[in-house]
Amino acid sequence: MDFFIQLFTDPVGFYNQHELLIAQIGINAILAISIFVTFYSGQLTLANAGFMAIGAYTTVIMSLYLPTPLPVDMLVGALLAAAIGFLVGLPVLRLRGVFLAIATIGFVEALRLGVILNLPITGEGQGLKNPSADPLGGIVPILISVPILTYLVWRLTHTRLGQAWAAIREDELAASSNGINVPAYKMVAFVISALVAGYAGALETHINFFVDPTEYSVTRTIQILTFAVVGGTTNVIGPIVGAVFLTALPEIVRQFAAYRDVVNGIILILVIIFRPQGIVGRGGLAIIAPRWWTRWRTRERAAAAH
Amino acid sequence: MTQQVLNAIFIGSIYALFAVGYTLVFGVLDVLNLAHSAVFMLGAVVTYSLVALHGMPFLPAAVIAILVCGLLGLLIEFVALRPLRRRNAPPISALISTIGLALIFVAIVEQATSGSLFSWLWQDGANSVRFPTGTVPNPTFHVAGLTIEGTKLGILVISVVLMLVLGYVMRFTQVGRALRAVAENRRAATLLGINVDRIFASTLFVSSALGGLAGLLFGLALSDISPYIGRDQVELKGLAVIVLGGMGSIPGAVLGGYLLGLIEVFAFVRFGSNIEAGVAFAALFLVLVLRPQGLFGARLRERL
Amino acid sequence: MSALLQLTNVNRSFGGVHAVDNVSVEIEEGTIFGLIGPNGAGKTTLVNLVTGYIRPQSGSIKLLSPPPPASEKGSNSPPPLAGEGRVGAAVELARRPPHAVAGMGIARTFQTLRLYRNLTALENVLAGMHLRRRDDTLQQLIPIPAFLKEDRRRWQHARELLARVGLDPDKFGNRQAATLSYGDQRRLEVARALALNPHLLILDEPAAGMNPAEKDRVRALIQQLNQDGLTVLLIDHDMRLVMGVCRHIAVLNFGRKIADGPPATVSQDPAVITAYLGSQAQKTAAHVPGSEEMDVAATSTAVSAEPTSPLLEVRDLQVSYGAIQAVRGVSFGVAKGEIVALIGANGAGKSTILNSLSGVLRPHSGVARFGELDLTTAPPDRIVSQGLIQVPEGREILARLTVRENLELGAWGRSNGRSAHRDIEGLMKQFPILGQRRDLPAGQLSGGEQQILAIARGLLAQPKLLLLDEPSLGLAPQMVDTVFDVIKKIHNDGVTILLVEQNALRALEIADRAYVVETGRILLSGTGAALRRNPEVQKAYLGG
Repeated sequence: MDFFIQLFTDPVGFYNQHELLIAQIGINAILAISIFVTFYSGQLTLANAGFMAIGAYTTVIMSLYLPTPLPVDMLVGALLAAAIGFLVGLPVLRLRGVFLAIATIGFVEALRLGVILNLPITGEGQGLKNPSADPLGGIVPILISVPILTYLVWRLTHTRLGQAWAAIREDELAASSNGINVPAYKMVAFVISALVAGYAGALETHINFFVDPTEYSVTRTIQILTFAVVGGTTNVIGPIVGAVFLTALPEIVRQFAAYRDVVNGIILILVIIFRPQGIVGRGGLAIIAPRWWTRWRTRERAAAAH
Repeated sequence: MTQQVLNAIFIGSIYALFAVGYTLVFGVLDVLNLAHSAVFMLGAVVTYSLVALHGMPFLPAAVIAILVCGLLGLLIEFVALRPLRRRNAPPISALISTIGLALIFVAIVEQATSGSLFSWLWQDGANSVRFPTGTVPNPTFHVAGLTIEGTKLGILVISVVLMLVLGYVMRFTQVGRALRAVAENRRAATLLGINVDRIFASTLFVSSALGGLAGLLFGLALSDISPYIGRDQVELKGLAVIVLGGMGSIPGAVLGGYLLGLIEVFAFVRFGSNIEAGVAFAALFLVLVLRPQGLFGARLRERL
Repeated sequence: MSALLQLTNVNRSFGGVHAVDNVSVEIEEGTIFGLIGPNGAGKTTLVNLVTGYIRPQSGSIKLLSPPPPASEKGSNSPPPLAGEGRVGAAVELARRPPHAVAGMGIARTFQTLRLYRNLTALENVLAGMHLRRRDDTLQQLIPIPAFLKEDRRRWQHARELLARVGLDPDKFGNRQAATLSYGDQRRLEVARALALNPHLLILDEPAAGMNPAEKDRVRALIQQLNQDGLTVLLIDHDMRLVMGVCRHIAVLNFGRKIADGPPATVSQDPAVITAYLGSQAQKTAAHVPGSEEMDVAATSTAVSAEPTSPLLEVRDLQVSYGAIQAVRGVSFGVAKGEIVALIGANGAGKSTILNSLSGVLRPHSGVARFGELDLTTAPPDRIVSQGLIQVPEGREILARLTVRENLELGAWGRSNGRSAHRDIEGLMKQFPILGQRRDLPAGQLSGGEQQILAIARGLLAQPKLLLLDEPSLGLAPQMVDTVFDVIKKIHNDGVTILLVEQNALRALEIADRAYVVETGRILLSGTGAALRRNPEVQKAYLGG
């Protein structure tokens, strides 16, 4: 309870006290956006942790060996993740459902155990020290990125591209009868998801002094998946709410902090059984988009059309 | 080298035993049960707790642990799978709900220390433990320059016998035919008067009991025991095994298990320990991409 | 008039079955072309071949000189179709992916509705407009008024399309597709297909499962669209609908085209009558139905005596699949020792009735009793153990199990293994086809052999009442004879049978009594012999 009281009575003190938590919530929100994009197009891909790793290692390696400014390093990291996303997507996106999920898990672990742990440039199993880490400064780009990415992806879901994704998610056969090039649009979703995950990985290095390969295992992807499932994936707010909720929960209910995975597991099961659309369903969570708002939007749209 | 191959066969037996349960559930229910690795871990943990904390002899402890794991399988069915089936949820939902159960199982053990709620089950938190020496007699044999530990040999024998029994049941008994019928066509099985829900529950029981057995054998002879042995040692490798063998195929899982054991050992000998860990996943990735029906499978069933 | 779509010697087989066998068809521009044929004739396969979902093994599918797309009236005329500039040229469609075929201006609906169920009606139509929208995705990310205005114009256009198929956009536009009534969902699917602004609209069974009033609205809609200049390819089972609206009809049977011509010629064609009514049709057909309108629902013939103490009693049974009410209050009974047939066209609700009796479907109201057992609540395994056995439509044999294993599972509920074993041996002697193939995977049997296996498997459960669902479906004529001989024989051995058949005359030949089912209701009932002579039965099948 103190947590909320402080949030409202002393926001500055709250910010100073919980900086790391806020940064982590921001990173997780961006990762949630990343998995949302593939979910929205109807694909369960679990490669996000791998793309994070690519973004993170690229950023740190570049700042270790190249004189380029940090934003460039981060941008290259994100773009490299997207490029590798494209290459991985070529064979993998032909698979569906469980098979797609498993193949992407294979990618994450093959990358981590097979490549990162074996290359001298990635520090093998030791990880890398990050010369440009700046925990306090690093929070700023995170806090700026979250709303921008949220906005962009939210708009995206309302464009021709986003509507094609929704159609593919609902029914691939029908979508192709409407002239939607299903494989191409799946690929676009996968690459954007990789780009955003790579960017999150790059941002995260900024607040850590150290890049640790164990951070980029399937466990991380499962955590990201949890954000999306608990929050709901019919609109971009869902996964973000899931990320904020699940990241902050152990801080709010301190006495359960040790049992956070038990709590997460129970929440996950309850949501998937009783509220499969997630906390934020279609039309939005009651708090975020109350009924009058939806009704008003509908009326406005009808009026605009006349 | 021969010694290495022998080790590959021992570890391969565990992979196979674990993966058979994994693939059985996938084949019959069309669901990937990601709580299977947590049940594997609990097989080892429960046996350890009965032996080390409650002073029980090994054999009865092992039997109880296997039954407990079977019951956990029923828990998985009733909590995580059946409600979703009633709602006709997509198979992906079941994957997520079993992840939820796995999180819970692992966290309970991980947080259990002496004095905590679950101290009767586990007292070492995230740490690793070993069975007290002498839990089971472990004679060592020396044959043609090879060293063979009795417990490891036991693993091999138990695994092979159980897999043969399972193969016999699946092939030649009425229950096995019913399982295959349900796997192929749920509706047709229902019309034959087969109670499909009961078949599903039995499948989960058997699969989890096998998983628990694999776990306790693993903890007994090959590894330390910790809350993470399932997640880190077999969960994803088990996936690799059933993908290699063709998902849903029991003989495939057995062959895949031994194959993975061999691949790992050869990678270790050839490239060193660092590569070994990644090999399983590279294999998994390649097989899915190039031959999604598995190395031995004839044709992939269409799953939309 | 010139041809718009030309199929030449198109072939496609699946594992030895010729689904489409050397079919050549030409569809004139501006016409309404009907494609008909019994269930399993290959109609939907043909549509899937044209629209790129299946590739032909040989033959060509050409789209010929389509005119520039009909542009919409007013200022909101849509951007031109993707892939413009093909005017005058013939385009080969075979081996193009579905989205490319759609790009050539061919839109379709699906036999089993395929809406974007969780999207609203308007969003469904917007997704359908995919190809004729400029790709302004990046612009839309920055919502300056000019771009938003264009977006609003699209929404307006989507509303017009809904209105065009008779859905009020204010009332239905923002409703989730899955919540619409069945008829409205069908209409929405047409609107989504129209959003492509197609040259050719393919409607795959648009009236399946509809009541007569809804069918009339579908007919009016098709005629309206055609008057607006659209070429329509209509696939349907309802002969009255097809005969009523189509100007040209092709008939498929067993993958082959057996007739092709104007409706009046086709409905007189002996081969067509045989395909629809069964091989005995020629002998018994009193006259070939004309084309006058006739409300069959108003007629009824002498009702035969209903059994007083039936083994199976069904009263006012109603069954729905989501928004579709497939069975709308059906009552009938089966007495011990009878063969009772339910006949009627595909989609009439016959199989649904059987499925709700065997417990795989739950009726939402009504009574179904089998002896003491309440079939509306009993679990399927209990229904089987009480002796009510269904041999399902499409056989549903277990293809990967051997013939013998299939039979052994037929005896699943029996406690006495030895007597079951004896029965299996007996059946394999009785049906040597099964005995000879006992160790083969059942999937390798031919269709007729599979049907006999399915019946034998049903017998092993020691049925008091055997439900046979479409036993002649997809079988060649001589195999149909064999299967019907088997049915007669097991009936003589004392098994009570409830038979569901499309092959009406064959079914009536062996049935003691029969009921004619149409759109989820019982239309007529009587003794098999009486119904066989009844011209209404033929009308119900061939339209009139």
